[in-house]
Amino acid sequence: MAWKDLKNKVKRQLSDYLELPGDIMLDLPKIVLVGNLQVFIENHRGIQEYNPCLVRVVVSDKVIEVTGENLTLRNIMPDEICVEGQISSLAFLS
Amino acid sequence: MFLKILNYLYGYVTITLPEEYLEKFVNMATIRGIYLWGIANAFGNRVALNVRLRDVQPLRHIARMTHCRFHIITRSGLPFFFSRLRHRRALLGGALFFVIVLYVLSSFIWVIDITGNKLISEDKIVEVIRQAGLYRGVPKWSVDTAELEKSIMRQVNGLAWVGVIVDGTRLEIKVVEKVLPPDNGAQLMDIVAQKEGLIKQILVLSGHPLVQEGDTVTAGQVLISAAIPPLRIEEEDNNSADNVEEDEQQLPVQYVCARGIVRARVWYDGYDEVKLQEQIKRSTGQEITKLCMKIGSKEIILMGPRQVPYAHYAKHTDVKRLPTWRNINVPVEFITVKYIEQRVYINKLSLAEARRLAGNKTMEKLHSKMPHNAKILNTQLREVKAASDEGIVRVRVTVETLEEIGVEKPHQSDGGGYDIIDRKDGNLINGNQNNT
Repeated sequence: MAWKDLKNKVKRQLSDYLELPGDIMLDLPKIVLVGNLQVFIENHRGIQEYNPCLVRVVVSDKVIEVTGENLTLRNIMPDEICVEGQISSLAFLS
Repeated sequence: MFLKILNYLYGYVTITLPEEYLEKFVNMATIRGIYLWGIANAFGNRVALNVRLRDVQPLRHIARMTHCRFHIITRSGLPFFFSRLRHRRALLGGALFFVIVLYVLSSFIWVIDITGNKLISEDKIVEVIRQAGLYRGVPKWSVDTAELEKSIMRQVNGLAWVGVIVDGTRLEIKVVEKVLPPDNGAQLMDIVAQKEGLIKQILVLSGHPLVQEGDTVTAGQVLISAAIPPLRIEEEDNNSADNVEEDEQQLPVQYVCARGIVRARVWYDGYDEVKLQEQIKRSTGQEITKLCMKIGSKEIILMGPRQVPYAHYAKHTDVKRLPTWRNINVPVEFITVKYIEQRVYINKLSLAEARRLAGNKTMEKLHSKMPHNAKILNTQLREVKAASDEGIVRVRVTVETLEEIGVEKPHQSDGGGYDIIDRKDGNLINGNQNNT
């Protein structure tokens, strides 16, 4: 685990130094929130749970939990998920 | 938007599957590159999602692997539309029939328009094109526009150009008529006074003068006649009227087209009045717009004030309504009212100013009556005094001009001769020609 942390640290420093976006260098998700109506999650690894008030999306090494009401998955593509509805919170679970 | 159109073209189905299998199902489908959208809760604990028609078969494979069953609930898109259409032969046939009928009917000429003719009657052109084999309902391919143009040009006289244009089911024939110079030789012309006046100069180029310098003429009186009496009548002056008449019957009268210049002194009279004290309204530049909608007899103010905030104002109303079609009249109107604020001034004039103003106004009125080349000889301005002082200045203006009063009029056969006799007798009967 220590070796992985070190590798990540070096990567992050490198991306900071070269001013490269983290979602490419570090394989991080890119999340775009449009008000509380839509959330776009790029670079995902699939969904873990879905029901109208909770959506869990797996990203590189974390899980993003979107809660709200009347949530629907507008579309799912291999690299992007769009969740629609009245979003009340967005949390990272490790 | 683009994606929606594409989905519609490819066709898509909405499927439902149990909620507990969704995650696995969706992840497997995504990994295989199957595009899913619109995942939402359906009835019970089932979830609905959309998938393209061509991805349904791979989904069956995934369903088998995840041990779940999905049901197709709706089918939408073009492929399904066509398959539904295949069962409705009559509808398809009707659509096809419609297209064919539209095509067939649009290959005939249904309307023939003739434009540009003023003197040549439309019937004449219609007759010519009918002879050339063109009438309403003739097929379009049988119309040779160039040949038609030529045949119209050949058979109808007085045309300068003919253009035949086929525009859809409409055949337009544009014609341009020849403009011929006015033929003076054919018609005999008199020179007639257009207004009354005192003859100052008369210059006869051709024709027989009926008036002399110093004569007073009335409007419509013949000044130079087209009929030149035989010379002998001129010689036999101061003969009795009957004698001359007898002579005239025997001797031929020569006819020419009368030409000449007749200048006369003409008087114009004008009158105007100006108030010494006058109320003038001037707009202050402030304005307010009210927008109303009138439904039936009810008026709803959409924008603007309920009451006009100005003491004095002018009002411009603009009513917009939907166009009436057949008997249907939509009782909805949009009314835009523009209120322009005005302020009232009291304009006081001195006597001299008022007189000058009244004079100018009268002169303006008179100028509009005069021809452009009239020469003003004399202008007289008189103030008309009223018995009581009402604060009004009244002015009468008389203008004397020298202008040409002769105009050409077609000759009236027996008009000229009698005038000569009257003049010979010493009493000139004015406007004798008007009676004939």
